[in-house]
Parts: sequence; C-alpha cells; structure tokens
Amino acid sequence: MNQEQKFSDEFLNAFVDDQLAPEEKGRAYISINNDEALNRQVCELRKMRDLVQFAYKDLPTVAAPGPRAGGLRTNVAAGLILATGVGLGWLLHQPSSAPEQAARVVAPPATVPTPPAATVATAEKPRVAPQSAKPLAVATSEVKVLFHLNSDKPERIQEVLDEAEALLKFYRAAGQIARVQVITNGDGLNLLRTDKSPDPERVRAMLKTYDNLSFAACQNTIDRLKREQGVTAQLLPGASVVDSGVAQIILRQQQGWIYIQV
Amino acid sequence: MEFFNLFSQSRELRQALEQSRVRLYRMAYAWCHNAALADDLAQEALTKALRKSNQLRDPKARDAWLFSILTNCYRDHFRRQRDMDDIDDVELSDETTPESHSSRQEVVVQVRTAIARLPQGQRQVVTLVDLEGFSYIEVADILGVPIGTVMSRLCRARNALRALLVPQLERQNGTPGVALRRIK
Repeated sequence: MNQEQKFSDEFLNAFVDDQLAPEEKGRAYISINNDEALNRQVCELRKMRDLVQFAYKDLPTVAAPGPRAGGLRTNVAAGLILATGVGLGWLLHQPSSAPEQAARVVAPPATVPTPPAATVATAEKPRVAPQSAKPLAVATSEVKVLFHLNSDKPERIQEVLDEAEALLKFYRAAGQIARVQVITNGDGLNLLRTDKSPDPERVRAMLKTYDNLSFAACQNTIDRLKREQGVTAQLLPGASVVDSGVAQIILRQQQGWIYIQV
Repeated sequence: MEFFNLFSQSRELRQALEQSRVRLYRMAYAWCHNAALADDLAQEALTKALRKSNQLRDPKARDAWLFSILTNCYRDHFRRQRDMDDIDDVELSDETTPESHSSRQEVVVQVRTAIARLPQGQRQVVTLVDLEGFSYIEVADILGVPIGTVMSRLCRARNALRALLVPQLERQNGTPGVALRRIK
C-alpha cells in the first residue's frame, strides 16, 4: 500500500501542527521518515507555515497599537478628573447662602495671619476686611497654616491645641479647604511623646476629627534626646517625623504656608 | 453601570488584555490587510472584551475567547460594509513601495498577497493556526465551525499557498524543484 494513500492531506497537516495523539504521531513519524515523497510534502507544509509566520512578523506601524490603548486610559483619566471637578464644585457650592458665602470668601486671609487669639473669635471681623481683592480666588484656594511649638510649658501646649482646633473648626464651618500642621521640636516634642504628652487623648481625637491636621516631630530633636539623655522617644500614633523641624518650617514657608509660632 | 464595570475588572485581566493588543492587531491585519481597519478591529475587540470580561469563566481559555470576539467584530464589520467593497479585491498597498525591492520584503509581499487571495474562511483558519498556534479544536471554537471544516479549510489553504508561492520562490532562487528537498 502506498504511503501517500495511507496519509491524507488533513492528516499530514495535523502532523505538522502537532495535533495528533502521541502514538499516532510516532507511527506517522516512522512512515514519513521512510518515504521521501511524504517527507517532501511535510517539508513543504512546514515551509508554508514558516512563511505565514514570517510574513506577519513585522507589521505596518499604524499610529495605532500604542496610542489607542493609551487613548482609552487618557479618556478614563479625563473622565475621572472631570468627575472629581464636578464633585468638588458641587461640594463647595453646597452651603451657599449669600451672606455666609461673603464671610467665607474674605475670611481666611484676614484671620490666618493675625495672632492666634484673634483668629476665630469674631466672625464679623472678616466682613469688614477691606481688601481681599480677589474673593473668588481666595475661596477656592487652599489655606495652609503651620504652628511651631518648641516649648513644653503646659500653657503653650494648651494654646497650640486650642488654636489649631479652633482654626480647623472655623474652616470646616466656612467650607474653606485648609491644611494645618503642628511642627514640634526642642521641648515642644513632649506634646507628641507617649511618656510625656500632657494630653495624648486630645491629640488622638483631633487627628481623628480632622483629616487635614497633622503633627510632626523633629528627627534632630529625637536624635539629640537619644544622644544626650539616652531616651528613645516613642511618638503618639498618627504623629509623623520630619528630618529637621527648622528645615521643614522653611520649606513650608517657601511653599506658601502661613507660619505661626506659639 | 457599564462605566463602573470597567473599573471592577481585575487589574491583572486588563493588563493581559492590553498585552494581547498586538496579537489581535496582527491577526486582524492578516485577515484584512488594511492597517487602519485592523487597528479598529483590534480596538473594538479589546473594548468588547473589557466590557464582557465577567463572562470569561476559565482564564486558560482567554486567548480563544479573545480571538472569537475579534472574529465576531470582523464578521460584523463586513456585514455592515457588504455593499461598500470586498476586501478580497483590495490590492495590497505596499506592493509598489520601494521597500518591495528588497528580497526579504518581496517574500513578505508575496506571502501576504497569496493569503489575501484565499477565501475568507481559509484565511482565518490558516492564520489562527500558524500565527497564534491555536489547536484545531480552539480554532473550531473561535470560528464556530466543526473541527472537520477547520481541517479541510486548512488543508485547502496550505495547498493553495503552496501552489501560489512555490513557483514564485523557485523563480527567485533560480533552482526549480531542488531547493525544497534540501530544507530537511
């Protein structure tokens, strides 16, 4: 019986494409190897397969494959930004009765730079603040306030907590976006030390209430404590550490933060 | 809801789908030989795949599932465009480019032209098997035809390619009939 009759074209294609069962393949391999015509036929089929693969190895570079995929991402990102903008605008627009808005609009610049005691005391004061020339810009921009505490006197600690809390409460009520940071160095670090803090519970409660409030401890002070007194300062949960309190204050001021030393 | 579904996909699946883009593009190009259309088809298939990714039960079957979506996109496209033009009549645009003077490029153009001349069914089968290495069962599943049809189409496609290409290649090599024997 002729080998070529034994194997149909479909069978040879399946052999080339490795689609046969192992025992079938073994038998076919022996037969093909012993028959030059079959062998040639298989070679040609393999060559056709290789040619097809070769022909589509390098494809015409439409500006397509990359950019389109990126396009989808860009669209999604643009959608997100738009949604965020709409959401933010809606939120900010919520408490918008006219007098309140007027107070909110002019409040921050007038109150923030003044000494802490005056910050929250009078809601009337901002209304007369004469030259907040760009009310809209003020209302939408973020107010950033930095309190610096370098003393562990109880009245100072009390004062910084009172001021920060009052300020945060005021901004929240006015709908003003604000960030407040309390930087401690020197003896002021005691505010954040678990073993020395006079009111850890209040710090914890404030951090929980205001997510735009942060407490930072100076690493240099922590190092000095360790070096000079052999004390490893344990900080309250939620307190962050900055390399240098002074450097952080300078950096924040350069970034437009309002500096208040307590 | 569809918008949120997009975000509910696992990051992994999305990455895998995006990585499949080049392969989808290659396949679509082999089917239609039109770069812009191939790009559109690949994009459409990916978009549909992302939208329907919750229908994919077995991750191992992802490739076959993805290419079956591409097949549907391709079919739908020509269903819509039937009265416009027949892709089999479209000549390959790069046949006359200066690049085709290089022999490598010449072979590429010859093979692509030969594949473009195949009937659509044969063209799809031969490219799915050769370019993606799908098994016959997978190809049957992707195209929605019996496995016997896949085998016969593949057989006819390769015979047609052989009939078209072997004489051309032999002419190029200048050694009719002998070269193929030496491949072994």
